Amino acid sequence: MGITSPLHELHEELGATFTEFAGFTMPVQFSSIKDEHLCVRKGVGIFDVSHMSNVWISGKDAAALLSKTTIEDASRFGSGKSQYTALTKEDGTVIDDTIFMHVDDKYMIIPNAGMAEPVTNWLKKQVDAFGFDAQVENVSRDYTIIAVQGPLSQKILQKVTDVDLSKVGFFACTHATIAGKKCILSHTGYTGELGFELQVNPAENAKVIFEELMKVGKEVNIKPIGLGARDTLRLEKCFLLAGNEFEGGRTPLEANLSWAMHWDHDFIGKEALLKQKENGDYQRLTCLQCTGRGIPRHGMKVEHSGKEIGVVSSGSMSPCLKTGIAMAYLDPGVVSLGDTVDIMIRGKSSEAEVVKPPFVKKDWAKTQ
Amino acid sequence: MADEVREDLKYTETHEWVEVKGKTAIVGITDHAQSELTDIVFAELPEAGKEITKGDELCVVESVKSVSEIYAPISGTIKKVNENLEDTPEIINDDPYDDGWLVEIELSNKDEVDALLDADAYKKLL
Repeated sequence: MGITSPLHELHEELGATFTEFAGFTMPVQFSSIKDEHLCVRKGVGIFDVSHMSNVWISGKDAAALLSKTTIEDASRFGSGKSQYTALTKEDGTVIDDTIFMHVDDKYMIIPNAGMAEPVTNWLKKQVDAFGFDAQVENVSRDYTIIAVQGPLSQKILQKVTDVDLSKVGFFACTHATIAGKKCILSHTGYTGELGFELQVNPAENAKVIFEELMKVGKEVNIKPIGLGARDTLRLEKCFLLAGNEFEGGRTPLEANLSWAMHWDHDFIGKEALLKQKENGDYQRLTCLQCTGRGIPRHGMKVEHSGKEIGVVSSGSMSPCLKTGIAMAYLDPGVVSLGDTVDIMIRGKSSEAEVVKPPFVKKDWAKTQ
Repeated sequence: MADEVREDLKYTETHEWVEVKGKTAIVGITDHAQSELTDIVFAELPEAGKEITKGDELCVVESVKSVSEIYAPISGTIKKVNENLEDTPEIINDDPYDDGWLVEIELSNKDEVDALLDADAYKKLL
């Protein structure tokens, strides 16, 4: 058994089945992945995502350290703001993607599961290399992370917090009291729905918050959601999963993160990325929606006119669209939107169309 | 809820069931198997006429998150496949012993039937 969440016993009581993920034992599902998925798209669901990491960056040069090590210029984000970004190596490949939250005079970053130590060590190395006046502290085991996601999330969360959530803008963060317990609240998530994430310390408080949300959410049938639905929810919105989309070393340009690239600052990997951008000859993450039968999965080959042009990094059945969907790294210049490719599923080819992200559009539930 | 095990069927250790009808047998997956697999969203069945040997991969059943191979419990020739599974694979979850059957096999070696588990022996595995 891997590291368990402080909420593990509560999950057992709620009937979870568990899975191993990056050294953690976390709920994969409570009732059914499909039901949990649709519950988040149409109502509200509550997630324990304590497998994610928490690292504080503080000191006079905290923003400078973040800017030097990510594709974002952190100085653009004042206290109370969050941003999605990626840490890159000298060769431009992604070490990890993360959200940073500017809380008072510090920054909290949320590296992926199992990435707390590598990211902390990398940042400390850069502190020494560049002589920054900054402290980096891995506090992952102190924090429990709860996500409340879905069109009804705000309504439910508002019942138990002192913060006026209508004033917390998208990607804003703030101190909050929820069910009488303090936490850091951000208007962020990994589902593409209205939602909030809570960084709770100590763990006992997380249990109180989780149980209180389950209680007040009862009237709208709130459900606990496992990692299974978390993965299908993010895939329908074309959000990246580090272990899949950065596997083997991928740059932000390859991973379709051009929108998150802030070129007007100096950062590790910038030179390599500028060169790649100019050169243009790199595989790009592409969205494929199956028109044929079969479900694409991680590692399956993609062909066009009988020639291999790439590989699926993430694939699943879409519970909303009821078709197979995939993100795949494809060679440049071969296909464009609307074209058909073949995904090789156990030796047979299955047709898929190149589509624009996301697979599931905003406010999908309203169209149902 | 306890998984249903039908008295009149034969079983394998890998959770397939077999209903022998003279020279042919219907094959499916057990209630226990479907409940472990959870939401089944895709079934890839063999083509009628294909010859299979006991222990070979018979078909593939996928849930949202997993891909599972189903093994042939007996040798023979595929006579029929359950075409309803193409559009509604979830009937394997809803009705694993009746509407959710997978294939009908014409037996090539009837002796293999004797090697299958009876309901009591299968129940002990659960």
